[in-house]
Amino acid sequence: MAVVSPGRPPGPLTRPPGPLARRLTAARIVGVPLVWLFAAFNVFTGVWLLLSSLKSGDEIFSSPWRLPTTPNWGNYARAWTDGLFGQAAVNTVVVVGGTALATLLLAAPAAYVLSRITTRFNSSLTLFFALGLGIPAQVVMLPLFVVMNQLRLVNSLFGLIIVYVATSLPFAVFFLTGFFATLPVELEEAAALDGATPLRTFWQIMLPMARGGLVTVLILNIIQHWGETVFALVFIQTTDHQTLSLALLGFLQQMQYNGADWGGLFAGVALVILPVLACYVWLGRRIIEGMTVGSVK
Amino acid sequence: MTATDTLHRAGAHEDTPRRRTATGRRVSRPSPLAARRRKLFWPMLLPAVLVYVVFFAGPSLFTLWLSLNQWAGAGPMTFTGLDNYQRLFQDPTFRHSFANTLWIILGAGGLTFLCSFALTMVLRDMKGRKAARSILFFPNIVPSVVIAILWGFLFQHDGLVDSLARAAGLPSVNWLGQENLFKVILIGLVWTSTGFYTTILMAAVDQIPPELYEDCELAGANALQKFRHVTLPLMWEVVGVCAVLWTISAVKVFEFVYAFAGAAGQMPDTGVWNTALYTYGEAFASGGVPRYGSAAASAVVMLALVGVLVVLIRRFMRRDAVQY
Repeated sequence: MAVVSPGRPPGPLTRPPGPLARRLTAARIVGVPLVWLFAAFNVFTGVWLLLSSLKSGDEIFSSPWRLPTTPNWGNYARAWTDGLFGQAAVNTVVVVGGTALATLLLAAPAAYVLSRITTRFNSSLTLFFALGLGIPAQVVMLPLFVVMNQLRLVNSLFGLIIVYVATSLPFAVFFLTGFFATLPVELEEAAALDGATPLRTFWQIMLPMARGGLVTVLILNIIQHWGETVFALVFIQTTDHQTLSLALLGFLQQMQYNGADWGGLFAGVALVILPVLACYVWLGRRIIEGMTVGSVK
Repeated sequence: MTATDTLHRAGAHEDTPRRRTATGRRVSRPSPLAARRRKLFWPMLLPAVLVYVVFFAGPSLFTLWLSLNQWAGAGPMTFTGLDNYQRLFQDPTFRHSFANTLWIILGAGGLTFLCSFALTMVLRDMKGRKAARSILFFPNIVPSVVIAILWGFLFQHDGLVDSLARAAGLPSVNWLGQENLFKVILIGLVWTSTGFYTTILMAAVDQIPPELYEDCELAGANALQKFRHVTLPLMWEVVGVCAVLWTISAVKVFEFVYAFAGAAGQMPDTGVWNTALYTYGEAFASGGVPRYGSAAASAVVMLALVGVLVVLIRRFMRRDAVQY
């Protein structure tokens, strides 16, 4: 919809070669080092965090810039058991996995019919889902709490999954509706001519074709909920049901009473970050594009 | 995430039949295939609509009604009209929270966009741009709670920023004191979101034909002129989308403030509250009786703020797309 020139295949263009493009300008002389400084700050903060998670509390303050003398794996053990990160990690995996799968299960069929079957409800329904993108959690939270309370779903992982699924639907439906619309209809028509039922066409033709989009929604959903805090704070009340973000907050709170255990805290932080980092290294391009590309095209 | 895009698409449904093949063959009379598929419309859509209505859209609407009542979460509700709103705007805590929200939207937003534009310009023809972009983007997918804890540690007394400043001979500043706390939060927000908007703007810039820049260079334009006369007009629409995305996410900012300033495991000092924290505080952390009515009113104010700003942005950014 935005800046797309006709006749030019979309997608990133390679930078122009030639002497003009490489000319040194004042902006570049100042700018390039600044960009790398910014990037270095990010990398440095990350590395520093991982190193600190292996140091004792004293070491973090007395020699913040040095490598740990001996790796202090006890930090991780403490975080895992005393900090309750072990239980929280299990809870988070259950909630995040359940949410992502349930979201896809609901959103994919809905997006499919919205993009393929034209009725007079399509535009208003698509808009209805899209409006959810602009609604802050605080607007839903109060009545939702009352509803969940009555359904006895407060302080339950299943309840939290329902909340997450409902709030994920706007983006998932919106994203997939756009994605399905870009896929060709010929294959489905051929399948129908061969006598496949519409449901089977959806299941055996459409979903495999749309795998890329489905996986993107899955990954984004997982990343989004891995450290979600607002709903978790409201809907989870005991430590045995808490997710990782709540475990972190709880650990901070414990430190108020039991004294600062920065080594343990950073081990906990590392436990939260490392899976995200691994996911990012593995699927980075897909994550970045899934989160941003829709705004340009 | 890309709300405006959907609005366009939703509007487009009415006049363009979707099922049109590349050869231009229109499917005007319902084919047997279409008729059979039509039966699937509601069965496939209904589960999603039901969950969405019961657990998201419905409660949101109910918040509107709740904001006109006085309610403690249980027992009878009493209708009080606009009382909640009146009280809200008389409450100095709320007024301060509202001002902080505006600071986040406009102050942190302005700085974020400035940095993103600058980065986009530099990254446009830099070596290793992909790597730099990936690194700058990463803070965006790290959970805000983690970012907040890290940020707080960097700025605490004897923390990294402090020791760096001392090494450079600068006076030690109490970053986490009353007067600086909110500023540190704003800078943290800029830090995490700049990468995201830079990535979007870069994608837009990538679609600008390089010949235009070569023409500029031949005409002797400097970097600023190129930005002003080529880049900005050609990515205007994307800038508008970014502004909408920022507004929506800036109003939602919660975790960062909560975990950053509320390290004691309770609500942070009211001086750094924004409307999101105010809403949460009124409903769940007020100590005494939860004030659902005024919490709901505060939530509605948040929603109205999003609505008004999005309409304003779209009006301000409306302009014919440049054809080239």
